[in-house]
This record gives sequence, C-alpha cells and structure tokens, in this order.
Amino acid sequence: MPSAAMTDLAPTPSRAPGRLPPLALLSRIGAAVLGGYAFCWGFIAVVHAGLYGLGMPFHDAEHLAAILGVLLYLVAFLWTFAARRVGLCWAVLLVGGGLMTGAAALIQRALLA
Amino acid sequence: MFQNFRLSMAWLHTWFGLVLGFVLMVVFFFGSLSVFDREIDRWAIPSSRFAPQPMPSFDTILKPAFERMQPDKDAIALLDGRVDGPLPERFEVVRSWGAYTTHRDPVVSVFAGFEVPRAKDPDETVFASHALDPRTGAVLPQGQLRVGSEFFYPLHYSLHLKWKDLGTWIVGFSALMMLAALISGVVMHRKIFREFFTFRRHKTVQRSALDLHNLTGVVALPFHFFFAFTGLVIFAGIYFPVAHTQLHELHELHERVEARETGLPHERAGVAAPMASVDAMVAQAQRRWQAKGMAGDVGFVYVSHVGDANAYVSVYRAGTDRVALTGEGIHFKATTGELLREDPPRSAVDSVNEFLTGLHLQHFRHWLLRWLYVLGGLLGCVCIATGFLFFVEKRKQQHAKAGSAGSRVVDALAVTTVTGMLVATMAMLVANRLLPESLADKGDWERTVFWSAWGLAMLHAFARGGALARARMNPAWREQCGLIAAGAVTAVVANAVTTGDHLGRTLAAGYWPVAGVDLSLLATAAVAILAAGRLGRRAKATATGQSPAVLAAAEARHG
Repeated sequence: MPSAAMTDLAPTPSRAPGRLPPLALLSRIGAAVLGGYAFCWGFIAVVHAGLYGLGMPFHDAEHLAAILGVLLYLVAFLWTFAARRVGLCWAVLLVGGGLMTGAAALIQRALLA
Repeated sequence: MFQNFRLSMAWLHTWFGLVLGFVLMVVFFFGSLSVFDREIDRWAIPSSRFAPQPMPSFDTILKPAFERMQPDKDAIALLDGRVDGPLPERFEVVRSWGAYTTHRDPVVSVFAGFEVPRAKDPDETVFASHALDPRTGAVLPQGQLRVGSEFFYPLHYSLHLKWKDLGTWIVGFSALMMLAALISGVVMHRKIFREFFTFRRHKTVQRSALDLHNLTGVVALPFHFFFAFTGLVIFAGIYFPVAHTQLHELHELHERVEARETGLPHERAGVAAPMASVDAMVAQAQRRWQAKGMAGDVGFVYVSHVGDANAYVSVYRAGTDRVALTGEGIHFKATTGELLREDPPRSAVDSVNEFLTGLHLQHFRHWLLRWLYVLGGLLGCVCIATGFLFFVEKRKQQHAKAGSAGSRVVDALAVTTVTGMLVATMAMLVANRLLPESLADKGDWERTVFWSAWGLAMLHAFARGGALARARMNPAWREQCGLIAAGAVTAVVANAVTTGDHLGRTLAAGYWPVAGVDLSLLATAAVAILAAGRLGRRAKATATGQSPAVLAAAEARHG
C-alpha cells in the first residue's frame, strides 16, 4: 500500500513496550476526564452564580454557563492530550476547578445574605 | 509521551473513537430513526393510524383522564430506597398535570406528577404517563409500546440504562468524544479540502474505507458537531447539576423571587379548591396570541398544584412554526380563570438556548429538513462504521500473522453494532406485527425480541470471526445483511397482512406515516441485498485467489 502513509497518522499497532507507558496514559486520561469535569464544574458554577449576581435572569445565567462550559470541557480535554506535561494539566484543572467552585460558593453566600 | 501534537490527536481519535464509536453508532442510528418517531408509532400501533389532532378539550376529555391516572408499577419500583416506610396504595396529592401534542401527533401525551409521602427528598415526584385518543379520551392500550417515541427515541439518548441515568451519562461522554474526534480528525488530516473530493472506490477495502470515512466526516462535519454539541446542551442540567446541588439555595431564592414577581405561586396553599373551566382559559390564550399575530395551535397545557387554592394553569403555543419549542406561555389562576401573567419576550440568551435545543429536537414543520436530518445521521453511521472497518483492515494482516485476537474482536463488535443493530430493529418490527394485539405486556415482548436478536447477532459475529485469523473478511457481515433484507421485507408483508394497510392503499390515500415506514424498510432491504451481493462476490474472489482490486476492476467494466 504505497499511499497508506499519506493520511494515516495513527500509531501502528505494535506491542512495543514503553511506547505508551500505561500509568502515564491512565493519568492523562484521568486528567482529561475527571480534571476536565472538575474544571468545568467550577466554571459553570462561578459563571452561573456570578452572572446571576450581576443581574442576569437565573435560567439565562444557567444556560449560558452550561453552553460555554460544554465547549470549555472539549478544549480542556484536547489540551490535556496535547500538553507536554500531564502533571501541569492535573494542577491547572484541579486547582482552577477548586478555586472557581469556592468562588461560586462565596458568591452564593453573599447573595443569600 | 506523544511525540507531537498531531500524534496525540491521532491517538485520541483512534482509541476513544474506537471504544465510544460503538455507543455513537447506536446514538446516530436511533437518533436518525427518532426524527420519524411519531410515524414509526403509527406503524407499530394500528389503532392510532388517524390524522393528527389539535389539543382536545381539557374540561371534557383531558380532566377525566387525568383524574384516573396513577403511576405504574415500574415508576413506583424506581422509588425503592428513596422513601422512609412503606409506599402508599394510591398517590393522592397531585403536583402537576401536563398534556402535550405536536402537529404530527394523532394521540396526545399526558402525564401526572404526584407527591411521594415520606420521601427522603421532599421534592420527590413520581410520574404517570399515557397516550390518549384525543377524540374520545380513551387511553391507548397500556401494554402496547410506541416503538418510535418510547423505545427508539429513549434508546438514542439513554441506551435504556435508567439506573442513576447511567445511559445518559455514557451517551453524553460519547458526544463529548464525538466532538473531540471531529477536531482531532481535522488535525490529523491537513489536506482536508482535497480529501473531501477523494473516494478511491476501486482500491483496497482499507483505502476506500478511509476515503469514505474522511468524506462523510468532512461533508457532514458541521451537522455532526452541531448535534453532538446541542445534545450535550439539552442534558447539561443532568451532566452538571450545579443548580440542584451546589447552588441549590440560590435556586430556591430565585424561585421565591420569581414567584413574587410573576404572581405564580411557588408552593401549595394547603387548601383544597375546585378548578374553573380550563377550556375558557385556553380560548383566551389563543385570542391573546392572535392579537399578537401568532398562530394559535396549543402545544402544551400544564396545571401546577392541582386541586389546591394556589393551582394555576399554563398554556403554551405549539412549536410548529419556529425552531424554538413550545413558548409564549400564558398563565391563569386555576380556581377563577383570572389572568396571572403573560411570559415576556425571550431574552437573548434564552433565544440562543431555545434555538440550539429546538434545532436538535425539531418539533417544527419542515419535512425536507427532517429528511436531511435522517441523511446527516446516517452519514454519521457511515463515518463511524468505516472507521471500524479501517481500524480492522489496517491491522488484520498483522494480527493474523502474530496470532493476536485484537482485530477479530473489534470486527465482531463492529458487526454487532452495524448489521446486528439493524437485525435487532427488524426483528422488533416483525415481532410488533406478528404478536397478537391482545397480548398483555406486548411491548415487553417486543423489547425482549429486540435485545435477544441483538445478543444472537453478537454471538453470530463472534462465532464467524475465525476468518479474521486468516486475514479474510468476517462472513457474518454478509449473512447479517441477508437477515436484514429478509426481516425488512417480512415486516412490510406482515404490516400488509395484519392491518390491510399495504403500500397500494397507503400510497393511494397519501397516508405517509405508514407508507414512509414501509418504503424505508424496502429501501433498507434493497441496500442490504446489494451489500450482501457485493460481499459475496468479494469473498468468492478472495477464495479463488483474485485480488480485490482485480475484482473491482471487473465489476467496474460490467457496470
């Protein structure tokens, strides 16, 4: 198949050990799925609470946060696979997600007070 | 870990695409069928083969039907573990009644939500839902399954895995991976414009599968991206239940503020009170829409706090003439019929959201677009199926040499999800026509036939997978194509025999719901026969040592 290399970039199915270390791979998948989820949860919560606090109707803020949050999840997911260091991804996603979730909680407390 | 960006995207595309492709195949195929779910319902339930009806009278048709409703045993079973103490015999406190119809529905869908006494979550609601004949108020036979809207459609978004919404989560993650696969696919293929016009039909299976994969992936890319994305937006409240968990109190605050501003009570008063005529309220709503120059079809009537002094009635306009779903709600006090509120015009965010979800759910009247949706969905199926084929073709020689079962397993799963899924669908439709109408739990039997046929198709695919060990094509592909064709023709004949609505009659009468399903089945049979024939010739040629390219050239000469 002379032209097979033109468009097919998928790694050839070799069992060569060490090409994709299983732990590193699992960590990357975990960061993309779970880290990405945590980050987007925080984003959706803080945008939702924040926009409501700024006067946007509750369900408008909810929908806008969700629409942007879904796209952000996609970006975070792809970035985690493309990034050189998976540790950085874990850190950014979890710390960022945590901070935004905390900020959302503070906004809620302020609005309820 | 990955040498470069494109390799990382290629890895993501290959492996996530492979694993979740099996789910996506189901989602795309049954999504395509769901475009005509109401029409498939007509085919499956002959007693509902009459013209679409407007929303019936609430006072004389709907109210008596609502008052007879109680949740069924399946709905009650789901409450297990969510209640302190025993469940009641009857659910007395009605939270809500709803009646819903579209321009394609002869039957009207009704549901009632009941308060659950001693529930751990005070907001817990158990639902009863039925389909009614709007001309008489008669409930459609309980055991009969609306195959399109109650089976294929929920299969599309939930895989019928109801436990903790597990299926909806799996479908959601698959949709996210569909988006990732589309983007990583574009990254992998830099010459995207040229590939758009490349389809080397007569080269090897591996070449033509990849060409077709690229072609369908690119030509329908905006469609696929849009549907995967809007699917996620529709269920965003399930995937990110922020407003019901972390921001629950803010949500409660908002609802109290909203109740104060809109005058629509948030809570029951706890005082029983009778209802005024809802028909009069509906008529008034229609007059108000007309005054604004809007068509007056009623799509949705909803009663909150039924039987209470705080009860109110919401009347919504059907989504026939625009992308957004039901809307322009007008709300009345249920005890007096006094106007409480008219919904204000949509805000910008709400318009965007309604547009995104409405374009996915398409309740509007536009038959050409409806067929384009089917085409887009089926192109998605072709894209995923050729992805599987390419994966297998690329590896099968190597795996056969190394004695690895990898491509054999993937191929058997591909047979299961591509042709096996169609075998199961055909088996279900045939069972629907052959099982007696009077059979109690007829719908449950149809479900059993569907899953059993799919299971058998899987066993068949694995049993016949030995050919892969010799780097040949699995004969199950061809054999199941034959089964699909036989099933589709049987379904059409069975429909004609059991109901008398053969194509001669339905086409002459212009009764498209049933004629359309029959014609689609015949088209499926034709495609399956063509595919089986081609696969058969290829298998013979491979067996006699001819290369597929020679065979293809010969085929091309013979036209």
